[in-house]
Amino acid sequence: MSALGELSKLKTGGHQTPEQRAARRKEASRDNRAGYAFLAPWLVGLFAFTIGPMLASLYLSFTDYNLIQSPNFTGFDNLVRMLGDERLHTSLRVTFTYVLVGVPLQLIVALGIALLLNKGMRGLPFYRSVFYLPSMLGGSVAIALLWRQIFGTDGLINQMLRAFGVDATIGYVSHPDYALWALILLHVWTFGSPMVIFLAGLRQIPTMYYEAAALDGANKRNLFLRVTLPLLSPIIFFNLVLQIIGAFQSFTQAYIVSGGSGGPSDSTLFYTLYLYERGFTNFQMGYASAMAWLLLVIIAAFTAINFFAAKYWVFYDD
Amino acid sequence: MRTTRRQFLTMASMGAAGLGLASCSRGDTGDGGGGDASGDGTSLTFTWWGNPVRNENTTNAIAAYLDENPDVSIEAQPGEWASYWDRLATQTAGNTAPDVIQMDMAYISEYGGRGALLDLDEYGLDTSDFLEGTADSGVIDGTNYGVNAGINTPLVMVNTALLDQYGISLPDDTTWTWDDWLAMATSITDASAGAVIGTSAIISNDAMFSAWLRQQGKELFLEGAQLGFEVDDVTAWLEFQQKFADAGAMPSASQITEESSVAFDQSMFLTGKTGMAMYWSNQLEAAETASGAELTILRFPSLDGDATTRKAWYKASMLWSASARTENPEAAVAFINWLINSTASGEANLAERGIPANQEVQAHISDLLSDPQQRVAAFISEIEPELGDTPIAPPPGGGQFGALLLRYATEMLFGNSTAAEAASGFYDELTAAVSGS
Repeated sequence: MSALGELSKLKTGGHQTPEQRAARRKEASRDNRAGYAFLAPWLVGLFAFTIGPMLASLYLSFTDYNLIQSPNFTGFDNLVRMLGDERLHTSLRVTFTYVLVGVPLQLIVALGIALLLNKGMRGLPFYRSVFYLPSMLGGSVAIALLWRQIFGTDGLINQMLRAFGVDATIGYVSHPDYALWALILLHVWTFGSPMVIFLAGLRQIPTMYYEAAALDGANKRNLFLRVTLPLLSPIIFFNLVLQIIGAFQSFTQAYIVSGGSGGPSDSTLFYTLYLYERGFTNFQMGYASAMAWLLLVIIAAFTAINFFAAKYWVFYDD
Repeated sequence: MRTTRRQFLTMASMGAAGLGLASCSRGDTGDGGGGDASGDGTSLTFTWWGNPVRNENTTNAIAAYLDENPDVSIEAQPGEWASYWDRLATQTAGNTAPDVIQMDMAYISEYGGRGALLDLDEYGLDTSDFLEGTADSGVIDGTNYGVNAGINTPLVMVNTALLDQYGISLPDDTTWTWDDWLAMATSITDASAGAVIGTSAIISNDAMFSAWLRQQGKELFLEGAQLGFEVDDVTAWLEFQQKFADAGAMPSASQITEESSVAFDQSMFLTGKTGMAMYWSNQLEAAETASGAELTILRFPSLDGDATTRKAWYKASMLWSASARTENPEAAVAFINWLINSTASGEANLAERGIPANQEVQAHISDLLSDPQQRVAAFISEIEPELGDTPIAPPPGGGQFGALLLRYATEMLFGNSTAAEAASGFYDELTAAVSGS
């Protein structure tokens, strides 16, 4: 709607006299100034707290900065060391598993719950809040600690199993075969925010499409596959992009659950956790900065691939 | 309204920018502003790791100091060992390191060697009344980065009441060997049918590995950032520890992993789940408070079954250091002088941080000591004939020893590597860590 308005304004602009145009320009530049004035607080924040530190970390990534002494320029040393750093490769493997398994699972659960909630049931606001709750809590230290209690060797799960006579001695957060999956489960459990966005998207699909399709004899499965999914695809794409970016940067859960070590035997060594260990435990902030830039490149690449692939499956109804 | 391409892109870019901002803004501060300067009087920040007993003692000590020095204000930052070092590193990087810092031998060269700690001698540190050989624990290459806050020695604690319950008697700690430790732990597990596990793990314990090495004429670290042992020593140690695991005499690899990050009073030994454990002597009182049981202290074993050959050592349980960037170096060192030399500080802290190195303070408080502290004081003087050389402070990077060994040891215990593989992986990584890469 607004785009059309802009277009019509542009068209009328063509018939103005030079004086009128000059006056409009003046007005526009005043508008621009006001716009920048309103933007100023955000711009100051952007330059002081984001661009500045990012440039600083780009410089540090080519140094041997150790947090305390002033940095020495070392060229591409950090990058060369990253190639041969086996723990870095482990951390990439762990993080990719987490992202590639956790994000799709979480979105499927979010969509499933959103579909259920979209049936016009009673007390929808209540259920919506209940299902959103884990998302509010999920990133918190308290929940990570709770997870450690529930999935520990003597945790709630094992105590329940023992009550049924199962000899449960595996600590799900402290056994290398299970620890990452306990964290993926935690990620899936925090499906609330994509769910709310899905719910909003589902409500935007006009009922006339469903009515028309039903008249043509489409069954439920076809309604979902041929009406709901295509019309929801921009929302799915949106959630996918955001959740992938977010999942790559996961830190708190792994940090708390493993006590900051990424253990057992590096099975939950998230990339960010390793970066933190290098920077703050081993005092290798130069190396950590280089790692941070590699993460930025990886996330950018994933996002670019996402946008490229979107051409083939995202359907915009405009 | 349906979602149009334009709306979508706006939404996506805003969301992405928001996420990016939220995450990038953390951790990149290389050159933040200075510490907080208060207007009138001198203000100091003071951090330590500890336990409930120590927190209370230290709070009382601070109150006593403030009574004597009303123009000073002290902001206390107590912490837990498990998270203390992450926080201190972060604060140091952000230029907000506390003025007075409780430091550990494992990290003093890390911080001192990089210029983060003050030379205490330069600002008038007074150790004139210190017991011989205790005044220079924190001197590295001629600079005094930290002063002994209490004398300490590694030992074995036993939950006697628990052992009595299963009819297990105590060993003679002047003659027991490492194999006796294994046998005793095994019999505890067997006698309780697994309800109590014999011993808490010492598999990644740097003090016990060090003791075991020293009895073979080796050391953890040598001068010049060198390792004082070989890969084969680690292999032999891990193979010995595997016997504990095979016998069920120590907790499972999962439990060891979980225990590595719990608070002091939540450990398996202090909650009655294991029968014995390695601790430092100054921890006895806190351990008894946490467990509610009377604990017996034993000498750690020897290889030859003769305690005089066990190469025991006194360690500075912890050290008092000051930040190199403190705005009030004189006030910081004055406070440290008071902590180590005043009878008032001695009365508040007693021997919880170890037996005071200042002889006058030590004499002054000897009658005031609680029962566990008296037992520790007696123990410390008793073992004097068993002392070997004092180990040197670990080089920078050496502070990671325990975390590294834990990672490789649990990998072996989970069955993902052999003792030899774990040992060589550990050895290579530790060598790299102390050589600064």
